[in-house]
Amino acid sequence: MVSDRTKRNLKAELRESALAKLGVALVVLVLFAAVFAPLLAPHDPTATDPKNASLPPLGFSTTENRTTSQMVDGEIQVVEEEVQVNATASHPLGTDSVGRDVLSRVLFGARTSLLVGILGTALAVALGVVVGLTAGYYRGRVDDGLMRVADVMLAFPSLVLAIALIGLWGRQSIAIPDPFVRLGLAPEMPESAVIPGTVVVVVALVNWVWFARVARGEALSIRSAEYVTAARSIGASDRTIIREHVLPNSVTPILVLATIQIAAIILLESALSFLGFSGANLSWGLDIAQGRDYLASSWWIATMPGIAIVLSVVGINLIGDWLRDALDPGVDQGEGGV
Amino acid sequence: MSLGRFLLRRGVQGILVVWGVVTVVFLLRFISPGDPVNFIAPLDASPELRRRIAEELGLNRPMYVQYAEYLAGLLRGDMGFSFLRGQEASAVVFARLPATIELAVAASVVAVVIAIPLGVISATRRHQPADYGATLFSLVGISTPNFWLGIMLILVAAVQFNLFPTSQRPVGFLEAVGHLVAIEFAGPSVAAPLDVRAFADTLGTWLWHITLPALTLGTYFTALITRLTRSGMLDELGKPYVDAARAKGLPETLVRYRHALRNTLIPVITVLGLQLGTLIGGAVITEAVFAWPGLGTLLISSINVRDWPLIQASLIVIGVSFVLLNIAVDALYASLDPRVDYE
Amino acid sequence: MTDLLRVRDLQTRFFTQEGQVNAVEGVSLDVREGEVFGVVGESGSGKSVTALSLIDLVENPGRVTGGEIWLRDADLAAETREDHPDAVDGTFVDLLGLPDRVRRGLRGPTFGTVFQDPASSLNPSLTVGEQIAEAVEVQRRADANPRSVRSRTQGYGLAKFLVGGAVPGRGYLSEESETRAVELLEQVGIPDPAERATEYPHEYSGGMLQRALIAQALAGEPDLLIADEPTTALDVTIQAQILDLLADLQAETGMTILLITHNLGVIARMCDRVAVMYAGEVVERGTLSDVFERPVHPYTQGLLGSIPDLDSAGERLQPIAGNVPSLLDAEMDDRCYFADRCPKAMEACLEDPDERAAAGSADHAARCVLTAMDYGDSPPLPDDHFGNGSDGDSPEGRGTDGNGGRGTDDRTGGDR
Ligand code: SF4
Repeated sequence: MVSDRTKRNLKAELRESALAKLGVALVVLVLFAAVFAPLLAPHDPTATDPKNASLPPLGFSTTENRTTSQMVDGEIQVVEEEVQVNATASHPLGTDSVGRDVLSRVLFGARTSLLVGILGTALAVALGVVVGLTAGYYRGRVDDGLMRVADVMLAFPSLVLAIALIGLWGRQSIAIPDPFVRLGLAPEMPESAVIPGTVVVVVALVNWVWFARVARGEALSIRSAEYVTAARSIGASDRTIIREHVLPNSVTPILVLATIQIAAIILLESALSFLGFSGANLSWGLDIAQGRDYLASSWWIATMPGIAIVLSVVGINLIGDWLRDALDPGVDQGEGGV
Repeated sequence: MSLGRFLLRRGVQGILVVWGVVTVVFLLRFISPGDPVNFIAPLDASPELRRRIAEELGLNRPMYVQYAEYLAGLLRGDMGFSFLRGQEASAVVFARLPATIELAVAASVVAVVIAIPLGVISATRRHQPADYGATLFSLVGISTPNFWLGIMLILVAAVQFNLFPTSQRPVGFLEAVGHLVAIEFAGPSVAAPLDVRAFADTLGTWLWHITLPALTLGTYFTALITRLTRSGMLDELGKPYVDAARAKGLPETLVRYRHALRNTLIPVITVLGLQLGTLIGGAVITEAVFAWPGLGTLLISSINVRDWPLIQASLIVIGVSFVLLNIAVDALYASLDPRVDYE
Repeated sequence: MTDLLRVRDLQTRFFTQEGQVNAVEGVSLDVREGEVFGVVGESGSGKSVTALSLIDLVENPGRVTGGEIWLRDADLAAETREDHPDAVDGTFVDLLGLPDRVRRGLRGPTFGTVFQDPASSLNPSLTVGEQIAEAVEVQRRADANPRSVRSRTQGYGLAKFLVGGAVPGRGYLSEESETRAVELLEQVGIPDPAERATEYPHEYSGGMLQRALIAQALAGEPDLLIADEPTTALDVTIQAQILDLLADLQAETGMTILLITHNLGVIARMCDRVAVMYAGEVVERGTLSDVFERPVHPYTQGLLGSIPDLDSAGERLQPIAGNVPSLLDAEMDDRCYFADRCPKAMEACLEDPDERAAAGSADHAARCVLTAMDYGDSPPLPDDHFGNGSDGDSPEGRGTDGNGGRGTDDRTGGDR
């Protein structure tokens, strides 16, 4: 499905564009963090440690005024003291308000984001491509009906629809056992990774329309191509024609769109987690929401996961640009960020 | 086809889409778990009381009857009654609407005013520091979740430097205007007309509060429009008509703005039309960050307490605004590009 | 007749990734007032870049790197004398010595330009009338207020665009300009001009568009009309109509025309004098009869040999065996650039032949050793002289070697 010429274009573009290289590097980094999180993380991301709460990141040791009251000789004495809050190498990015390690949470958060991004996009592609190809290939009433449904779907901003669906359906999540922990390689880590199932389904439901539009467009244009007419005239079935001719031609534009959509879905997932509409226990958006209450005292809790989101999305968007420049499929930009 | 007929046709299509929206919103209640009665009845309500509540609300009738009544109500402008708030749903929603509109408009103004010049500068100074700066900004801008950006703005501009408030909307734009013109809004008019000072003060307060939310919501669009304007201008400036325009003696200003930019904006508007959903979704989450009392915060709180009439009303208003905005974008597109015969 | 334009040793180069491309290499021309001067050559010969150099529209990465362009304009000379004394010689002004601002001001009132492809030379989203009126308006404003550049853009700018830009035209064009635009459309033979002025370019046919472009070029009442391949994109019958129109307009207004084309038939039909370009150089120039009837340069001879009838307007240049050489500086040397294709190449041709007057006519010159000697006076070059890599002398200009240079030239306006 990927021709040699395509590969050459991709390579040439990658060689020339520093931004494409940066994108690949960022995505590899995030993937690495997500896959090996249990081995890389210095602490269990869910373990609380009140004694080490709100530690600043390395290089940001601060002093803090603490007011404590004590009973001395039957009177209450208010003591104001300056406390040195030291960053420790054991928590390089600091800890949150209950003493959980921010770095570990950022590493594990990559798993949730990427899993939702990839699974959600895969589901949206599957749904969108089936609907789009059917509509474009059979045209007529099937097409009209499916595309009206698509119009109504598009009439809801995806975030609004997602909030409504998740808010009403509840937050189901699926726990998958973590292979590293099972194999005893990282015994202190949480035993399973939690996938926010509703979120995956809902992000797919609100994003499939873009794929349906692209697939339909391809099907419409290829349907009338000569070789397809020829295939039909020698008695190839619709199913064969779609599989052999229509599908391969749709691959490039769908690939490019899917890349952009992974970025969009990661942003959507983080927004949903931020609003509390997610079932994940380890998510960048969730951490940002928690850190928001401690902005004045512990800015890093909300800042670090945000930087992680920006770096991953920048990386994926750069790869999207790279694919688009190299393959030039002429895709409309779908609904993007949040 | 004339503009009027075009709008009529798009209007009819829009009504069909709105009907679809209303139907989906209606159906949402039936595919959602949880009995609405639970959220209204006291915990120890007897089955008899529960039955009476359901009857009162019409919840025990067949679905199609409820649907028909619902539609009929909507046509009368009746979006139901929120028992939790003790108010008409439409009143609650329309009281919240101005805040959301202000936010979206302010963000769009920020985006257009910054992005178009930035994109043009970037395209006309290719491979210069200004271009690299603009490109980097637009890349990061489209990749930053806006709730996080909002929090970072609060952290820097409000918490650290105390330049702007962290949240709230004490006054609305219309209240400021109310000092100039006697208009009735949400109750009796509070000020005597033509009070310029009060107008300036109120407007200042309003601006002071809306700055951070508008920047938060506007950044993604600023980045996106900058990117689109830049690449569009580069395309257009390479076309022969640009050389021809220069050859007839037009100063560069006219060549850029009257010729190249005009044609650049045609595709930019198409993409923006596709991105309207992001604007509305972004508004919802921006409101959540800044406790901005708009439709977004209303929707989220209503979902949390299952206040069905309010959920439905805010979804319908959002859906309808979206359809209207899309028609407006299409009309704008058609008015810019003579080759589109409103088709 | 007096000269309107004297181009001396003009050099225009493109600084591309592949290297420096010498698109125009020492071109000299004299264009006389009231004549039709033809420049003929294959695509990539540098004829279009020469025209763009005159009006200062060579685009990045190209630049005029040397030479002089003397324009006869007494007013301009008087104005310029103080600030740029070196650029003035009597009533002549060297355009290359003038600041960009002044040169931009010459586009319109001094140089009117008609480009090759009418379909893409007008802005698709403005009406034809508006675009012509715009050309009139900018001239009107410049005349009314010659010192202030601002006045020419007043009523238009970024702020204006952001506020009221969606409404086309308002605020910039005056009614007089719009009326004048209709008159111009009528002058170039467009029926129903008032009606057609309100139409958009996509509603025009190719021939009508080219008429509109000519009207637009006439808006500034130019002294010199540069017509760069004005008929190439058109049907044969339409081509003849456009040429007739140009001839009529010239007879009517007495303006000078610089006609750039690869079509010898067009040259033969329209021109008084002609220059033949090859590889960025003028290889032969003179009156039409000198060049067409007594060509000296083997390239000219080759071109002419390939068209049987000078009057047939549809005839295109027949390629002579071989390719136009790469114009990459690194691959250029002192030899005659045509030597690899020239049937009469001799050893003497390996040193750059200067332009010399051809015997018989003072106004007829060619850049070829044959102006001074006969074929055989110097040992002929063997056929494989340039085909042989071990020769080390000059593998340039053979086959695909030229791709880099020519590709760039085309893109930057080599053949428009
Ligand atoms: S100089 Fe020599 S090679 Fe060049 S055209 Fe004349 S005869 Fe031919």
